[in-house]
Amino acid sequence: MRPVETFVQSLVSGILTGSLYAMIGVGLTVVFGVMRIINLAHGELVMLGMYGAFWSLVLWKLDPFVSILLWTPVMFLVGMLIYRFLLKAIIPGGELNTLLYTAGLSLLIANLALFVWTGDYRTIKLSYATLPMRPFGIAVPIPLAVAFGIAILITGALYAFLTRTDLGRAIRATSQNAEAAALLGVNVDRISMVTFGLGSALAGAAGVLMAPSLYLYPTVGEILVTKCFVIVVLGGLGSVAGAIAGGVLLGLAESLGAVYVSVAYKDTIGFVIFLLVLLFRPSGLLGVGKS
Amino acid sequence: MRRAGALAAIAVLLAIPLLTANQFLLHLGITVLMWTVLGVAWNLLGGYAGQVSFGHATFFGVGAYTMMILFLKLGLAPWYGMILGGMLAALVSLPVGYICFRLRGPYFSLATLAVAEIVRLVALNWEALTNGPVGLLITTLPRVGLGSRVLNWESKAPFFYLVATLALGAMLATRWLSRSRLGAYLLAIREDEDTAESIGIDTVMAKVTVLALSAFLAGVAGGFYGLYFRYVDPDAVFPIALSVEMVFIAVVGGLATVEGPVIGAIFLVSIGELFRERFLVGHLIFYGLFMMLTIRYLPEGIWGGLRRAFASHASA
Repeated sequence: MRPVETFVQSLVSGILTGSLYAMIGVGLTVVFGVMRIINLAHGELVMLGMYGAFWSLVLWKLDPFVSILLWTPVMFLVGMLIYRFLLKAIIPGGELNTLLYTAGLSLLIANLALFVWTGDYRTIKLSYATLPMRPFGIAVPIPLAVAFGIAILITGALYAFLTRTDLGRAIRATSQNAEAAALLGVNVDRISMVTFGLGSALAGAAGVLMAPSLYLYPTVGEILVTKCFVIVVLGGLGSVAGAIAGGVLLGLAESLGAVYVSVAYKDTIGFVIFLLVLLFRPSGLLGVGKS
Repeated sequence: MRRAGALAAIAVLLAIPLLTANQFLLHLGITVLMWTVLGVAWNLLGGYAGQVSFGHATFFGVGAYTMMILFLKLGLAPWYGMILGGMLAALVSLPVGYICFRLRGPYFSLATLAVAEIVRLVALNWEALTNGPVGLLITTLPRVGLGSRVLNWESKAPFFYLVATLALGAMLATRWLSRSRLGAYLLAIREDEDTAESIGIDTVMAKVTVLALSAFLAGVAGGFYGLYFRYVDPDAVFPIALSVEMVFIAVVGGLATVEGPVIGAIFLVSIGELFRERFLVGHLIFYGLFMMLTIRYLPEGIWGGLRRAFASHASA
């Protein structure tokens, strides 16, 4: 491969993966914005989405890009229930308590999955995905390309929802100042529940979309959630636009790093950037987040 | 009364290997005691100073690898390796503290998590030193003479006494800390860091010191792990789950108490190991479950709750 092609190739795969990272990051950041919860169990919600895609393909022969229509609303419901019955009572206890609590939830969900589904690595094989597309000599795996399209669609729809609808405006108002929003008649509790549902739905949908391109195993959430923190801290905690930028940036850093720095250390790059940003630009690279 | 209780508990502990030769029970005891050391180590920083580290596996892993590498490459006896492993872990904790202590609350926690992941990936890839994912294996331990007898490494009793000594030492260190000037500084930092600073406490110095002490204990425990299991690889000694388990043992047992992490370790590790013996995977289900229940219903942990119950009973 010529150097230019190598560069474009890693650029393309970086952006494709980055779009999925962005989706997970947006879910985490919206929840943080409204509730000041750093949800350590967010990666497990992605994992549940991945297994949803796997089982609906194995049991019902449903293509992941169809079953996403089922799992997104299901995860929305799951998120609302988690908020209502598990998280709501903890939130007044402060950020560190919720951090420890969601760490517990994360371990609980991951190990229940390990117990029920065993630790075996599983893969999803799609009949139409054996060979990548090759536009201009660049290899583009088909499932990743479809996932990219859907991720853009969903993230765009969410953005429109947050900026154009009353409910979306109420969510953003709560995120900016919960007390002021409450004074203006926003039901903060209901908004929190909807927001947690939204965050979970995004995580679950991203999981379904990623399932054909990644190995599935019950503790995959651990790695994903740490990547997620890198993303949201890059973009500034609480900022939706920042999370999108952060996701694409991390995808690019990883794929370019794998080519030009070292394959073995590609996962390290994200964490190093993460520490640098936390130390020198705690409000995120874009400077819009709250620190 | 309290002193008598403590002495009685120590006597029972030291008598266990004399009373039973059941290998599983002794293994359980050793595991509980090793996690006690880790819970106590984490509690120094997390309980007393209120700094929630999600990266303590780093110090455990550094201790474990130091002991293994010194033994395998230089032939240094494992017990010296354990101490040196603890010291190296304390040394590593200095730059870690320097970086992470600039951040507060959950941001500190996330930064420690990132550091631990970086260290894990380095251990995984630095094959010349760590042998990468294959790991390091000790095939035979050195001969140790005890008077006219030779120490039997196949028996679990020597490991039991070694780790029991470590656990008692770690608890004594906590007791000392809780009564020292440094301990008072740490409590002040936990309650309100800005106020602590404004009354003249060198908060950075206090936090770095307690982190080094905590890292030393975790490193020694790591060295013990290597000696006991004779095998170390990055997934065994550097995973995120290991850091998280230490946190849970301390929180479920009771933060900022000498006894809390011991209770947490006895409770969680016993349940976990019994489950693992029967079902092989998923023993951390209970860690997660009891963590959530503790935060929700018993924020002072099991020991804190018990103590409160006794106190109200005594005053009634």
